[in-house]
Amino acid sequence: MLNKARTLKDILWFFVFFGLVAGIFRLWFGLGATTNLTDSVPWGLWKVLNMIAGVALSTCGFTIGFLVYVLRVEKFKPLIKPAIFVAFLGYGSSCFALLFDIGLPYRFWHPLFMWNEHSFLFEVFWCVMLYFSVTFIELMPNILEKYKLKKTVGFLHKITIGVVIIGISLSTLHHSSLGSLFLITPYRLFPLWYSSLLPVYFFTSAAGCGIMFLIFVKILYSKLYNPVSVFGEQTNGKVPVVCSLNRNDGNTATKEYGKDMPMLSSLSIVGASLLAIYLILKIYDLFRLNLFNTLLIGTWESWIYILELLLTAVLPLVLVIIKKSRRSPYGLGTATFSASLGLALNRLDVGIIGYFRDAGSAYFPSLTEWALGIGVIAAAALVFLFVAENFSIFDEQWKVYKINKGIFKASFDTINRVWQAALHSGLQRTTIIGVFVLPIAFVLMYPQYKSDKGIYVVPASGLNTIRSILIINANTPGMSTEFPHLKHQETLGKEQSCIECHHISLPDDKSTPCSRCHRKMFEKTLIFNHEMHKGWVAADRQIPGLQPENKTCAICHLPGLPKDINSAVGCMECHKEDIHVANTLNLPKQFLYADSYFYVMHKRCIGCHQERKQGVNKPNLDQCSNCHQSYYTQYETKKELYGSLASD
Amino acid sequence: MVAVLMDITKCTGCEKCVLACIEKNNLNLEKSYFDRITARDGLSSDRFLSINKIDKDRFARLSCMHCLDPACISACLVGGITKSPKGAVIYDPDKCIGCRYCMLACPFHIPRYEWNVTKPFMKKCNLCYDRIKDDELPACVEACPNKAIVFGDRNKLLKQAHRTINSKPEKYLQHVWGEKEYGGTSILCISDIDLAKTGWSDKPVTPIPHLTEPLIEKTPVIGLTVGGFLVGLNWIIRRRMEFSGQNGETKNQTKKEDGQGDA
Repeated sequence: MLNKARTLKDILWFFVFFGLVAGIFRLWFGLGATTNLTDSVPWGLWKVLNMIAGVALSTCGFTIGFLVYVLRVEKFKPLIKPAIFVAFLGYGSSCFALLFDIGLPYRFWHPLFMWNEHSFLFEVFWCVMLYFSVTFIELMPNILEKYKLKKTVGFLHKITIGVVIIGISLSTLHHSSLGSLFLITPYRLFPLWYSSLLPVYFFTSAAGCGIMFLIFVKILYSKLYNPVSVFGEQTNGKVPVVCSLNRNDGNTATKEYGKDMPMLSSLSIVGASLLAIYLILKIYDLFRLNLFNTLLIGTWESWIYILELLLTAVLPLVLVIIKKSRRSPYGLGTATFSASLGLALNRLDVGIIGYFRDAGSAYFPSLTEWALGIGVIAAAALVFLFVAENFSIFDEQWKVYKINKGIFKASFDTINRVWQAALHSGLQRTTIIGVFVLPIAFVLMYPQYKSDKGIYVVPASGLNTIRSILIINANTPGMSTEFPHLKHQETLGKEQSCIECHHISLPDDKSTPCSRCHRKMFEKTLIFNHEMHKGWVAADRQIPGLQPENKTCAICHLPGLPKDINSAVGCMECHKEDIHVANTLNLPKQFLYADSYFYVMHKRCIGCHQERKQGVNKPNLDQCSNCHQSYYTQYETKKELYGSLASD
Repeated sequence: MVAVLMDITKCTGCEKCVLACIEKNNLNLEKSYFDRITARDGLSSDRFLSINKIDKDRFARLSCMHCLDPACISACLVGGITKSPKGAVIYDPDKCIGCRYCMLACPFHIPRYEWNVTKPFMKKCNLCYDRIKDDELPACVEACPNKAIVFGDRNKLLKQAHRTINSKPEKYLQHVWGEKEYGGTSILCISDIDLAKTGWSDKPVTPIPHLTEPLIEKTPVIGLTVGGFLVGLNWIIRRRMEFSGQNGETKNQTKKEDGQGDA
């Protein structure tokens, strides 16, 4: 039990240190160097996973508050403290992660004074901020009562119900508004996810999954610190005692779990019924917007949509409806974990994945993004564990555990001792983790050098002095091959051939991959010079006669068939030895480097032109059209020739 | 309200407007050359305006459309984007916090972000609002050698556009792009080929903010309704508990009811 918590904490510290380095890099180098965000996908992991999903999973504060304070369901009273605490942590960590995501973090206070009441983001900002303060006020008594400030605690208790009601109103507003954020992108978001009901979806799913997440946290907490309360009395370590105490039907013997399980399973029914509403609304919306074609067409979006719905609603519902799994901590744990995961996936879908098709490019978060995103969550979990160990959050009898189990060494009368107890034992281990992780994280996440000119192409290295043969890597780091540059040049049209491969506007001035021309190597393409091959084959086979190339047909084409591409042998039959892969690392270092074509042209020509422009009083000398005038027409004719080859 | 009218048939793709734009806005020329190749639509934080080849010998201008009812203005949470009296959509870097919601909201995918710097801002065309304020032409319009883009009052330009396409129906398509799209934009286009490729779309005619603003006006109402409902609900339940409490249940409940008197 103790070891489990320790191992978990060590892992969490690992992520925290990683995230720490990521956060520093983000602030030092800026967004572009550390994230994979682009102009097409402006919202990434931090905003969507940490902020939108994180806030959605922390709804338990207001749902449990509603159940306990407004509806007066006394049964759930023991959960109110953890619920508010989880909400506080969730909101706190979300806002903290958001600070790294916005471009100018030091201006986070701007919306306080600069208002635009037409913006849903503005509403979200205010509601989240106010609600965060509300959870803080709700949380205060739990912390203060340790330090015997009875007057303040009494006052705070008095205003509890008012604060709770304000909190619920605020939550209703901002959870629906988080959905409304995406209402502004009707032509960008994928139609499966865009719906005018988005605010309702966001609210119901957040409320349902928030409850599920709280149950999951409670089960996890019990597993670590207090298994008896959820998992029942244990014999042989982990296996719960099997009792035949079932009074209703004597046929089956049921496992008797801990005293908190009935409460958790009845709470799960509340959460599951909210998820059922969510599921029904989703299915209704499919009918309303007539989206079945989009759903069943089999795009990857539709698969993700189905997976997301299964995880969020269907699987938890099934597991909760089945009595046996609802009453077992394992069944309930699976259901709640799946709901939480599904919710996170849903928010990622609406916030990121649904935009891929419109953006025309996909986005996968960089290592730094993952590190910071997970690091913030890990830090929140560490705070949770710290508070759970030192304050009475989950159990009223936390002092009893302290004495009985001997987890806690010091008593907690003064804050100094709390501090000591938390740090003393773990400090050394944490330091060791830090010493190991920080340099690794530094090396792994240090942003690659990105110059403003954007030229970061691995140059080709020449095999001979005139660079007629180059060693190229074709955009595959580590692998390279010999590329007869001069031969290609001659075959493709001498001086005018450069444009065939080089200046075709590949992103980042990447070198042209061989497959651009050679992908149809086995077919009849422009790259295959039939006339030349006839001669080569004849020379190779030493066929005698006046016109030996006319006797070579049967060598490549199968006899008895029409002499076309289908009856020809593959290129690799003869050229197996021509194409061989070498490793750049083994090559001697004295190879001369060849610059990329774009670099050469723009450095040499433009540089001169810009110089001359000032000297000769010719202001237009450095305009692109001086070189590129004929570019379009050339390109067009090539395009017509090559057809699909050049078009992509 | 001012506008820019572009005649696609007159543009030769010389990109002098782009150069003028770069010069006027003091942008990085070298990076701009590079961005022309790398960016999908030629726009970047150093290129507010791009000329894209959309067909053989047909070039379309792409820049901020300066919508009449822009989504970005409705989206910006600090009110950092405003519409100038003459109709240009202007961005105020002093207010921006860098949330990039405008980039998500724009239906034309126009706003660009300075990803490479540590103190980044959003970048886009501002219709040279400091020049048109003094009745000067925007830099791009001034630079155009073929008069393919014309600057003037929006209503007059619309009339001119309709006159042009009506006088030569065999040449032009009978549609003025920008007249109704997303509630109307200040960049108008007439063309002899369909402009659906260039970001224009003839389907939507409602301004984007109309999707969200009616909803956000209801926000205080919803908040108060929920609050009032909860207070009422709490009151009813408390009353019911008081009655049952009279039958002598627990001290705990009466104690709590004292605490909730203030609510």
